[in-house]
Amino acid sequence: MAVTSFSSLNTSHEAVHARYESVDSLYRETRDMRLLGFVLFLISDVVLFSAYIFAYLYLRNSVPNWPPINKDGHQLPRFDVAFAAINSCVLFGSGATMHFAMESWKHLKKPAFNMWMIATIVLGVLFLGGQAYEYHNAQVTWSGSTLGATFFTLTGLHGFHVFVGVIYLAVLYWQANKGVYTGSKYFGLTAGTLYWHFVDVIWVALFYLFYLM
Amino acid sequence: MAIATAGHIGVASHHDHIHPEPQSFIGKYIFSIDAKVIGIQYMVVGLLFFIVSGLLAEIVRAQLLTPTGAIVSNDTYNGVYSLHASGMIWMTIIPLVTGGFGNYVMPLMLGQRDVAFPWLNLVAFWMFPVAGVLLFGSFLVGAPDAGWTEYPPISLQGPPGTSLWCVAIFLVGISSSLTGINFLVTIFKMRAPGMTFTRMPLFVWAQMATAMLNMIATTALAAALAALFLERQFDIPFYDPGRGGSPVLWQHMFWFYSHPAVYIMILPAFGIVSEVFATFSRKPIFGYKMIAFSSIAIALLGFMVWAHHMFTSGMAPWLQLPFMILTMVVAVPTGVKIFSWLATLWGGKIEFHPAMLFSLGFLIVFTFGGITGVFLSSVPADLYFHGTYFVVAHIHYVLFGGSIFGIYAGVYYWWPKMTGRMMSYKLGVAHFWATFVAFNITFLPMHWVGLQGMPRRVAQYRPEFQFWNDVESIGSFILAGSTLIFLYAIAESMLKGKKAPANPWGARTLEWQVSSPPPYYNFKKIPAVLTNPYDFGEPLPYVGLVRDASNPEHPSTGRASSGTPAHA
Repeated sequence: MAVTSFSSLNTSHEAVHARYESVDSLYRETRDMRLLGFVLFLISDVVLFSAYIFAYLYLRNSVPNWPPINKDGHQLPRFDVAFAAINSCVLFGSGATMHFAMESWKHLKKPAFNMWMIATIVLGVLFLGGQAYEYHNAQVTWSGSTLGATFFTLTGLHGFHVFVGVIYLAVLYWQANKGVYTGSKYFGLTAGTLYWHFVDVIWVALFYLFYLM
Repeated sequence: MAIATAGHIGVASHHDHIHPEPQSFIGKYIFSIDAKVIGIQYMVVGLLFFIVSGLLAEIVRAQLLTPTGAIVSNDTYNGVYSLHASGMIWMTIIPLVTGGFGNYVMPLMLGQRDVAFPWLNLVAFWMFPVAGVLLFGSFLVGAPDAGWTEYPPISLQGPPGTSLWCVAIFLVGISSSLTGINFLVTIFKMRAPGMTFTRMPLFVWAQMATAMLNMIATTALAAALAALFLERQFDIPFYDPGRGGSPVLWQHMFWFYSHPAVYIMILPAFGIVSEVFATFSRKPIFGYKMIAFSSIAIALLGFMVWAHHMFTSGMAPWLQLPFMILTMVVAVPTGVKIFSWLATLWGGKIEFHPAMLFSLGFLIVFTFGGITGVFLSSVPADLYFHGTYFVVAHIHYVLFGGSIFGIYAGVYYWWPKMTGRMMSYKLGVAHFWATFVAFNITFLPMHWVGLQGMPRRVAQYRPEFQFWNDVESIGSFILAGSTLIFLYAIAESMLKGKKAPANPWGARTLEWQVSSPPPYYNFKKIPAVLTNPYDFGEPLPYVGLVRDASNPEHPSTGRASSGTPAHA
């Protein structure tokens, strides 16, 4: 037979109990928890990028001239800003379309949502194509210099994030059209948006570090 | 499907909301998502790796019995001490204090049924044994030989096992990062009603500070390890000075993680002894808020002191000064804790239970190790101490005397809760005294041997150091023997231990208010919390706990009425 523990306590305890009686917080994954968990994950991801950015700046400052000399002895050129700027605009544009997709979803405009999502995915793929083109024509190699090492590591890590993001967005698109999300419950879409903007912001830093600085 | 009504508060009724208990062996014990099972899994695997790493240490000590030590070759010796340290730090202490105790105890203390993301917890756990097998498996292909810090350029030239080491530590790092995220969400979002931050048990505060460190610092290590792996396997230059890289870059990235890692290892031990001191002094803990907040202060300071490991790496003098001062400042929140514990003990009704003995031992040796830490933070002294046995002595006083003593205290304290059986009181006391004495015989002489100039990580040494090295080695053999007492006590308890009552120590935190071991769902009904759990002498501050014969309550002290102390 179950007994309660508060029979000997005074009446203010009774009052507190009455207040919490209906709050029996059974285990369930709430939106709050998922959002916090996802944001914490992004923070630790920021640390990952920051560590390599630190490595880049550290190596850059430890030699007298930048760009450094390649292992075969020739002076490495600066990266071509023009193409990377266009490619950056593609990625930033995808950030804007993602924003519109999310707004459309919130305003229950399903066709607009679909259109903006497809635009985002296409722009993401275009950006990856641009990166591939850039890698193909790069005058640095990953083993030739510290510039090559940090460039390919950082942009490769970022490109991997974009690649995962494109797949993630495609899954979200498929789920949204399967009816997984509703007008009030759409955490997956929120997380996807957050992730995509995060990838955008990281690119701002990388673009500055490798092309402008 | 019964629904609780106002008149029958204690009646369990929400089973339909609780994820159902798995019935198959694999679902129940292997791929369980129950934090309690995962906690025990961490402990079992961690204990295995503890034994392996400990045996490696015995090889080191056997080698150092004679100045020309010929037990193993020099190359093997390098691998042995590198894997001893890597195994103890990443495969033993960190998984035990976070994954082990954190998973088992924390959700119970918070009055919850599980951590926030049980599936993530399962994934994080299974990375750990895989990582351990990779780490110790590196012996088969040539173990890493540059010490646990694996400084380049030596690690760049190291045997193939060095790359395996990178993968293993990377995996276990991701595992603790995921655990950190999981724990933070659990603590922020899943406390029992009424449990404000300043009503949380101190162990939970310690886990919160640790989780922050784990979540942020560990990814920096992952970056450093991945870069080392890339450089070794794909020739991508980061650390090779001959190709524009910098070995000091590795030191920055490595210590940005590994200094916080010291606090990852010690903060949960602080949490454990805080619980033990309060319970076995039978007194409200002194300075609850100070102990709680100082954990956070230590965690924050922990990110600002990493370069004190690099005073001899050619650092600008103006940069050494802030790192030296900040390192010394860490002693302030640590001192706040130590004095709060002393004040808790003062005038208390102290019960010398094995958990309490290990906590008191912790207080003595950890304080000693903390003070030599302040010596080492001083730049002029560090230039002299660096790379000597003094550093080895310091690290063992804080990691063995701190973290491992804390783990032992935690095992003796929570063993009845985890297994439902009591542990032998006498064996526990014998284990403590054997460990405490052997520990000091082993590590105390290292201080003066180091001061006299014996370098660490050497397989041969000058003959004049032989006497104290022999003392240390004999101490370490006794230390290994003392661990056998512990293993025997575990076996005896599991085979014929007395059945444990719900609350054998009369402790007041929530995990003791459910039966031993707790049911799958922890709490039939989530209790409400009125104040912090350390007000000994007052009624328990919980409302809505479901009591029955398995977890009765003594009306005034909270001590289980059916529970008798193990030594009675």
